[in-house]
Amino acid sequence: MSARFGGLRGLAGKQDVILNAICLLFAVVFLMLAAANFTWSGDFLTIDSLFVTTVFALLALVFLANPLLWAHERGYIRSFLAAEDELTAKKDAEPVHFEGSVKLFGAVLFGLLVLTVVEVALAYIEVGLVLMLTILIGLSVIKAGLIMAYFMHLKFERQSLVMALIPALVICICLLFVFFPDGFRLLNTRPPSQPSAPAGATQPTH
Amino acid sequence: MAATEVQHKGQLVADDWGGGSFPFHIGHKKLGMWLFIVSDALTFSAMLIAYSYARLSSEQWATPFAFSPSILFSTVMTLCLLASSFTMVMAVAASARRDRKKARRWIGATMFGGLLFLGLHLYEWMHLINDYGLKPFELPRAWLERWPNASPLFGASFFAITGLHMFHVLTGVLYLGAVAMTIKRRTHEDVEISGLYWHFVDLVWMFVFPLIYLLSVDFNPEQMPH
Repeated sequence: MSARFGGLRGLAGKQDVILNAICLLFAVVFLMLAAANFTWSGDFLTIDSLFVTTVFALLALVFLANPLLWAHERGYIRSFLAAEDELTAKKDAEPVHFEGSVKLFGAVLFGLLVLTVVEVALAYIEVGLVLMLTILIGLSVIKAGLIMAYFMHLKFERQSLVMALIPALVICICLLFVFFPDGFRLLNTRPPSQPSAPAGATQPTH
Repeated sequence: MAATEVQHKGQLVADDWGGGSFPFHIGHKKLGMWLFIVSDALTFSAMLIAYSYARLSSEQWATPFAFSPSILFSTVMTLCLLASSFTMVMAVAASARRDRKKARRWIGATMFGGLLFLGLHLYEWMHLINDYGLKPFELPRAWLERWPNASPLFGASFFAITGLHMFHVLTGVLYLGAVAMTIKRRTHEDVEISGLYWHFVDLVWMFVFPLIYLLSVDFNPEQMPH
């Protein structure tokens, strides 16, 4: 013990241990605060209470990240990506980085065409607006995934590139959804319009 | 260029998450295009969400596109873009085989698909503007009779979103033309980057088409006053 932590030789290792211990301490504190909030708040399922819990849990996660990564690097946590690492290494050895065949891209194109036809068919048979919106968005996300993975070659790139680009984009787009509750509020607070304007009435232009 | 990267791979690229000089193992130009695509995707999502917001907060929204001909017309436009995306993939594949002649020909096919899309789209715009009298902040009279409380923002959202997309298609055609003209001096990566941009334009249309067109289908076109 004293040999490992004593003297200047082990300073770098000691520094890591101390910093990670501090991070871990913060993480534990925030986890405890999140748990304590569960008992403090009388009614847990309110917006405020859930928000506070989420913030504490997120902060705990932020502080946990570094110790976990450090432990992973030291091999304390077994790498669950080991098999994938080998695969990427083999892939990177190829001189021109291009994968996929006409057959594969043709299959992707066929999939995109089928999904498009399904979408257009939805416009022909009348389903409700909300159901239609849900199906359309779902299919569009699948199509976007197909295009990005195969046509834009993202499936064959390094995983670090995908992780750098896509999660940030998805989170930013989801953050924009914050406007939708306000859209409903605007609709409900607006004074009701005159019952059906007479035919041919001139609408003021804005 | 790609070959030298691999030669120095030992020094420049660490393991998958370790960073090194090539943390993403792609060239700086390609990374730049990816970053541009991400930021441009945010521009388009902001516009689509603004459109959804306007539609959500309005009492009524005009849904004027009859299945035949409007939806079928825009479906043909979608097929043009999808086909051009496929020919672009073929161009990148040919360029990966160092077959510049074929790559140029496939890029030409892609540009043709893009121009066809542009032509059809402009025809549709002219139809809406001249035959119906749709304006950015004013609905045509016939539509107002049909949907008396409809928001006048229909034209603004339609022209802004499809117009921005059309601008991207036009830019893409010019970009591809520049790449095709100078293809002898281009590396494989240059062709691939132009392909990334083209696929992105296609990708955006995959959201514009359902949200703008398919959600504004007129299920009873015979009720439209003339």
